[in-house]
Amino acid sequence: MRRLVGVELTRLRWRRAVLLLVAGAVLLPALIGLARVWDTRPVSDTERAQIVQQSQGQINACVDRPRQYGVRKSLPADQIESRCEDVTVGWQLRDPLTLAGERSGGSGMGVVAILTALLLLAGTTFAGHDWNSGSMSNQLLFESRRGRIWTAKALAVTLSALAIAALVSTAYWLAMWATMQARDLPMVDGALTDSLAYGLRGAGFAAAAALGGYALTMLFRSTVATIGVLFAVSVAGGLVIAMLGLSEHWQPQKNVAAIVKDGTTYYVNPPDSCFIGERANAVVEDESECDGERNLSLWAGLGYYGLPLLVTVGASVVSFRRRDVP
Amino acid sequence: MTDLVIETHGLRKEFRSRRGVRVAVQDLDLAVPAGGVHGFLGPNGSGKTTTIRMLLGLAGATQGTMRLFGQPVPSLLPSVIGRIGAVVESPKFSPNFSGRQNLTLLARSIGAPSSRVDAAVETVGLTGRDGDRFKSYSLGMKQRLAIAATLLKEPDLLILDEPTNGLDPAGIREIRETIRQLGESGVTVLLSSHILAEVQQVCTSATIIGNGRMLASGRVDDLIGTSTSYRIGVADPSAAAEVLGRAGFTVSIEGGLSVDTTEPARVTETLGTAGIWLTELTPVRADLETVFLELTAGDTLGGSTEQDR
Repeated sequence: MRRLVGVELTRLRWRRAVLLLVAGAVLLPALIGLARVWDTRPVSDTERAQIVQQSQGQINACVDRPRQYGVRKSLPADQIESRCEDVTVGWQLRDPLTLAGERSGGSGMGVVAILTALLLLAGTTFAGHDWNSGSMSNQLLFESRRGRIWTAKALAVTLSALAIAALVSTAYWLAMWATMQARDLPMVDGALTDSLAYGLRGAGFAAAAALGGYALTMLFRSTVATIGVLFAVSVAGGLVIAMLGLSEHWQPQKNVAAIVKDGTTYYVNPPDSCFIGERANAVVEDESECDGERNLSLWAGLGYYGLPLLVTVGASVVSFRRRDVP
Repeated sequence: MTDLVIETHGLRKEFRSRRGVRVAVQDLDLAVPAGGVHGFLGPNGSGKTTTIRMLLGLAGATQGTMRLFGQPVPSLLPSVIGRIGAVVESPKFSPNFSGRQNLTLLARSIGAPSSRVDAAVETVGLTGRDGDRFKSYSLGMKQRLAIAATLLKEPDLLILDEPTNGLDPAGIREIRETIRQLGESGVTVLLSSHILAEVQQVCTSATIIGNGRMLASGRVDDLIGTSTSYRIGVADPSAAAEVLGRAGFTVSIEGGLSVDTTEPARVTETLGTAGIWLTELTPVRADLETVFLELTAGDTLGGSTEQDR
């Protein structure tokens, strides 16, 4: 089996389409990282002076009527001016880089999405090429145990995808951390570890997507058919969720977030009874019927994507072992 | 008892579609003895390739049993596949890889050393072009590469499906010689081909199938049969025909005088006694093409269709 996996890794490495996708999986996160580093660059004194100058009218208005701007009138005059400057200018300044910010709503999910999409395509095109060229039958003339061929290719795709995604994710978060260090920005304890774990969970998700793409293509025996089916499922799935009025619990992106972020929250509309009578004024307990915020755990996300993946892998293996090979 | 390298009993393959069931192979009993070159003949769509694909595990049989080297297949195919080299239909390789890259991947999958790739490339005359992409090859070069791939295993059984397709005359001769040499060296070769003259020149035995059924099988000489007809040259064919007829011979004068006999000496004697002197007495030998066309006459393309299954 080790020999076969080695052969498949070589085949994967020699495929130009796969190499292009891998290059994309490295370059696009790098570009995102560069963009984030640029967008969060520290504000220079010149920039700040310029913004203060442009906002002078607002600062003056604040000094005249501080309460309208949320500044206490009882403060000494110099402090009022300083607070007014912060209030009117602060929102125009760039937010500093934080690892937590990048994980929760920043670029983290973007990197995961790119890695997932490109590595899924890599798994798909890798298998599709074997069917398209007809070389699958030639390979079976040298190793007739179809289960071994399927497994060797799956291992090559999954391990490569995992290695690439893990490397890219780790490099991304280390680069963000290094940037913060260079800028002397304060960092919460464990922020780097949390970010690296976030990246590795994302890498695992991307590798699973690559395996899914590969398995589907081995089932449909065509890259185009696989991409078509994935597109149709994503469109139809969204429509079905909307038509059935299912909660955010069933939305694909929420479940991705649950996996990558090690759990996430989603919102539901509490029943009307929660807003009537005594319940309307009662303290709402977490996870109770009237609590609109719900938790979606890592395991729930794994179940959401893991079950279809298992079904796809099973169908793919059975189909490959039983059907005639052209 | 002769060892059989390939053996099938009651082999059947059906393809199901909305239009019904098409039977590609039915009740095929194939027996290929060890050693020598065995021809596998049949018109297009007669089931040759389907049979080969079933033997190699690429397609499942609907019914029947198959054995390779005495082992039941497909169940024990993995135990014998290492002894079998095969080219099925057109050569199928990754088009963007070079010929050498394609061979290297296949060689590595069976743990063959890279020196065997060099040897195979040299044997089929691809040295110098092995670094080019497969998609840039001519059909003949693709065929050579496919044959090179079969040689990577140093096989005991070689299954070649139309191996000379697309080759130039020199290439055909080279491949024919290679096949003949392999057969003489103890490798069993199953050669599926439409070029009947080629089969007749190279093969020691042959099986002819039509409509998925076996029509004839045996040694090529036996299939052709011993000659029983002689073409006769005389000054007066009508007189000679009358003399031979009176002597009890079956005579034909259409397209020249000929006589069916296993005793050509009696023909000479009979005509000489009557004062008719022979200028020619030539045995008319049937060829494989004649036998093939007689056996496959009326075959429809692509096997039979059973609608009501």
